[in-house]
Amino acid sequence: MRDYDIIIIGGGVVGSAIARELTRYQLRVGVLEKESDVCTHTSGRNTGMLHAGFLYKTGSLKAQCCVEGNREFDQVARELDVPFKRTGKLIVGFTEEHRQRLLTMLERGKANGVPGMELIDRKRMDEIDPSAGGNFAIFCPSSGILDPFTYTVALAENAVKNGAAYHLYTEVTGSEYLPDGRHVLHTTKGDFTCRWVVNSAGLNSAKISEMLGIPGYVIQPVKGEYFVLDKKAGAFAKIPVYPAPTERNTFDTHATPTVDGNVLVGPNSFNVEDGEDYSVRQTGMDGLQESGARMFKHMKREYYIRTFAGARPKRVDPATGEIQDFLIERRDEVPGVINLVGIESPGLTSALPIARRVVKLLQEKETLTPNPAFDPIRRGVPRFHEASCEEQARLIAENPDYGEIICRCETITRAEIVAAIHNPLGVCTVNGIKVRTRASMGRCQGGYCETRITALIREELGKAVTDMRLGNGESTMFTGYVKGGEQA
Amino acid sequence: MKRTFTCIVCPNGCEIEAEYEGTEVFSVTGNLCPKGKAYVTQELVDPRRTIATSVRVEGGTLPLASVRLTRPIPKARIFDVMREINRQTLTAPVRIGDVVIRDVLGLGSDVIVTKHIEKAQ
Amino acid sequence: MMHRQAVIVGGGPAGLAAALRLREKGVQDILVLEREQLLGGILRQCIHDGFGLTRFGESLSGPEYAQRFIDRVKAANLECLTDCTVLDITPEKVVTAASRAKGLLQIQADAVLLTMGCRERTRGALATPGTRPAGVYTAGVAQNYINLQNIMVGHEVVILGSGDIGLIMARRMTLEGAHVKGVYEVQPYPSGLPRNIEQCLNDYGIPLHLSHTVVDIRGRERLTSVVVAQCDERFRPIPGTEEEIPCDTLILSVGLIPENELSLAAGVELDARTRGAFVDEHCQTQVPGIFAAGNVLHVHDLVDFVSLEAEALADSAAEYILKGSLPACCLEVRAGQNVGHVIPQRISGTRSFTLSLRVRQPLTDVSVVVRQGDREVLRKKMRKALPAEMIQLPIRAEKLTDSADMEVYVE
Repeated sequence: MRDYDIIIIGGGVVGSAIARELTRYQLRVGVLEKESDVCTHTSGRNTGMLHAGFLYKTGSLKAQCCVEGNREFDQVARELDVPFKRTGKLIVGFTEEHRQRLLTMLERGKANGVPGMELIDRKRMDEIDPSAGGNFAIFCPSSGILDPFTYTVALAENAVKNGAAYHLYTEVTGSEYLPDGRHVLHTTKGDFTCRWVVNSAGLNSAKISEMLGIPGYVIQPVKGEYFVLDKKAGAFAKIPVYPAPTERNTFDTHATPTVDGNVLVGPNSFNVEDGEDYSVRQTGMDGLQESGARMFKHMKREYYIRTFAGARPKRVDPATGEIQDFLIERRDEVPGVINLVGIESPGLTSALPIARRVVKLLQEKETLTPNPAFDPIRRGVPRFHEASCEEQARLIAENPDYGEIICRCETITRAEIVAAIHNPLGVCTVNGIKVRTRASMGRCQGGYCETRITALIREELGKAVTDMRLGNGESTMFTGYVKGGEQA
Repeated sequence: MKRTFTCIVCPNGCEIEAEYEGTEVFSVTGNLCPKGKAYVTQELVDPRRTIATSVRVEGGTLPLASVRLTRPIPKARIFDVMREINRQTLTAPVRIGDVVIRDVLGLGSDVIVTKHIEKAQ
Repeated sequence: MMHRQAVIVGGGPAGLAAALRLREKGVQDILVLEREQLLGGILRQCIHDGFGLTRFGESLSGPEYAQRFIDRVKAANLECLTDCTVLDITPEKVVTAASRAKGLLQIQADAVLLTMGCRERTRGALATPGTRPAGVYTAGVAQNYINLQNIMVGHEVVILGSGDIGLIMARRMTLEGAHVKGVYEVQPYPSGLPRNIEQCLNDYGIPLHLSHTVVDIRGRERLTSVVVAQCDERFRPIPGTEEEIPCDTLILSVGLIPENELSLAAGVELDARTRGAFVDEHCQTQVPGIFAAGNVLHVHDLVDFVSLEAEALADSAAEYILKGSLPACCLEVRAGQNVGHVIPQRISGTRSFTLSLRVRQPLTDVSVVVRQGDREVLRKKMRKALPAEMIQLPIRAEKLTDSADMEVYVE
């Protein structure tokens, strides 16, 4: 039986931010993640926006956490070595009705403390991004784009560096509250005990909440489908351009550049029962093609690289179905539990502010001793394709593995892949290597490098071919050897 | 009887209309070369194919050496020959042309290596 | 910075043939850059036979075909750097490459020969609906695992697309004990060669379903099934014709795309139809001194033609290197009725060259006609013309005029 002071259920961006913030104190922190890696659900399946905070009701947790998270992100990105660009964002309008909605949004943004928002005319738009459609726009300079995978991985790695432990493939199946004030968590990897449990289970947060003794919450997964476009299309997308919000205060399909230079077109938005069903539908893609082309004229078939889907776990009022704010709570009648339900967009931007609120709820109950060894800095592996010619030459001279390009489309070297294979979380799936390095994320989608990546994983970790996994669960890549059976 | 054959002798892949009775061919049309007629005749009497596969190599820079047959074998014996080939193991180095099985199953065809495999360091 | 008369990007069949011919033509200073450990390119994993019938008059496997060139390259003492990936080519012909052994290299070349081959179209490019489970492979990736790495990718197999590699893999996997349930092709005719339909599918009783495609991919972890449906003439699935097929493996053989990212960096303009460079009869791109041949220029059906095209390229490149220039090519070659694309797209009208083309759809009893204005340069009767087959026509200089554009059509 493994024992911690505090166990976080869920290793998404929020769970990992909580783990990292808790390691600022002398606590034994464990994270239980049911999947093969952090960031395989909601945290990694989104637009990768650092939101500004103008969309949310003034005074709500969503608004507060988002504005707070946005404000500090330059420093966070530096500390954790996360690719990030503060691009700003244009929300464009064509009609008088649009103008009224944009002005309402501008006022809300100001009330929420979003800095620098202004209504601009076509002339100013042309200075910012001539390819954006619309007659006028709101320019919000604080919006940005980041890589959600690297951010989540960085938070998790920094937490591990400061003493937290991650348990992958560990799904919580039940819990008990012991008379001595401890929790027992039953999992697919045996039992764990702790004094505190944090529910950061995302799509499963209502279920886990009920298991921990707080029933009654309802999560409505809202699915969205996306296209990923080639970097050739990315050359035309400098800044996220969104249409004026709808009557329901949501955004229709938009085109967002990614921090790596691709373009995301999407998401659409529809309610689903099973939030973890990430299949994409033909009708969904047809719709995205049509609506995406209105916003982004380079939305062309020849630029398609991939499609994906994600789901936002929205907490809804069980009676009215109305969407609710983030819930971050501790209840005296349910001791030792901090409960997070309905953490959806803008959860990526809000992750650290949410984590600090969790710490505060904990501090209301016990005095936390600072961890003198805490180091907020996490360094990623130097990326060959981002280096200058001189740096590239030096990298290869120091480590010849930098001279071997494994992924041609994204120019990812053997050195980066080997470093990723030996990641601090012990993730060993092909998708895990992919999100850590970007290998196989380019236009050939692993046609050249996947066979090399799987060979490197086998070589570095001594894995049998039948133990190779693409991603979550039993995503077995191979059925065995062609010749020679088991002794091969 | 009339039947259309797709000749596999070369990449032209001629569609050959053949009139025949039993194994006797009366006429062929559509073939660009005489090999087409020979192919049709052979198909009627005794269809033959070559196969290509691999054999496991020990101590080499690659785990497999590719192999092929030097001559076509009866189509019906393909999987018998595969079973024979699957029993083989080679030790590096191996060279193109190395004979893995001579006269496999007495069918008059050799299984030969088609790739150099060096000894692993 | 190093200097070479010719830098050849890619040590596959096109690059090796070009290197050998350049040396024969008197170019001394040649460097072949190959990203893999061994020369030979994709032929290394194409272990089936049928290569070299045109070139060598015998049926070889891919590795044997490649080895014949590799042996000659070694005998000629040609400089080849393997494990060396080209990162960039400038319009001024500065080639930057990374290598374990040599570090970061910069080479000024008099001529750059683009022979990078092609890559496979992916599921992402098709935007096939469904989940993203393990067990979905392009044919070339499956071929690499099975033929080079001794790894079996699955047992119950559906193949989408009837490209030649897909057909070859249908037979390979069947021989290695897999059950190939069927090949589904969205077009009303196969995209692979007729002989491969015969010897890879028919011989093994594997059904080919034309005008069908995969409309859903199922399974969250490993693939559990695909849904196929019949398609109309605009390739759209016909509702009500869906059929679910349980399988653990989906192999995609849905097209090849010339690998031209480096060409674009060098300022080379691409033809939207071939997705390779616009070239003149010298295989020269619109950037002087940068040449392209083989599958990087347009996807070939047979490697024998890749070698031939690369040798023609090398003849011109040698002339460019040794004389400093090539005759201007001001006449346009246009693809007319029923013709998908033509290579070259520009000619001088003063020299003989080989015209390559593909038809748009299967045709029978037709004539390929090559015209310049009202002058008929060549007319070739064909009993059948298939999109799967590249048609090559030698055009002789004495038939040409240097004063009119050329049109190629099939009637």
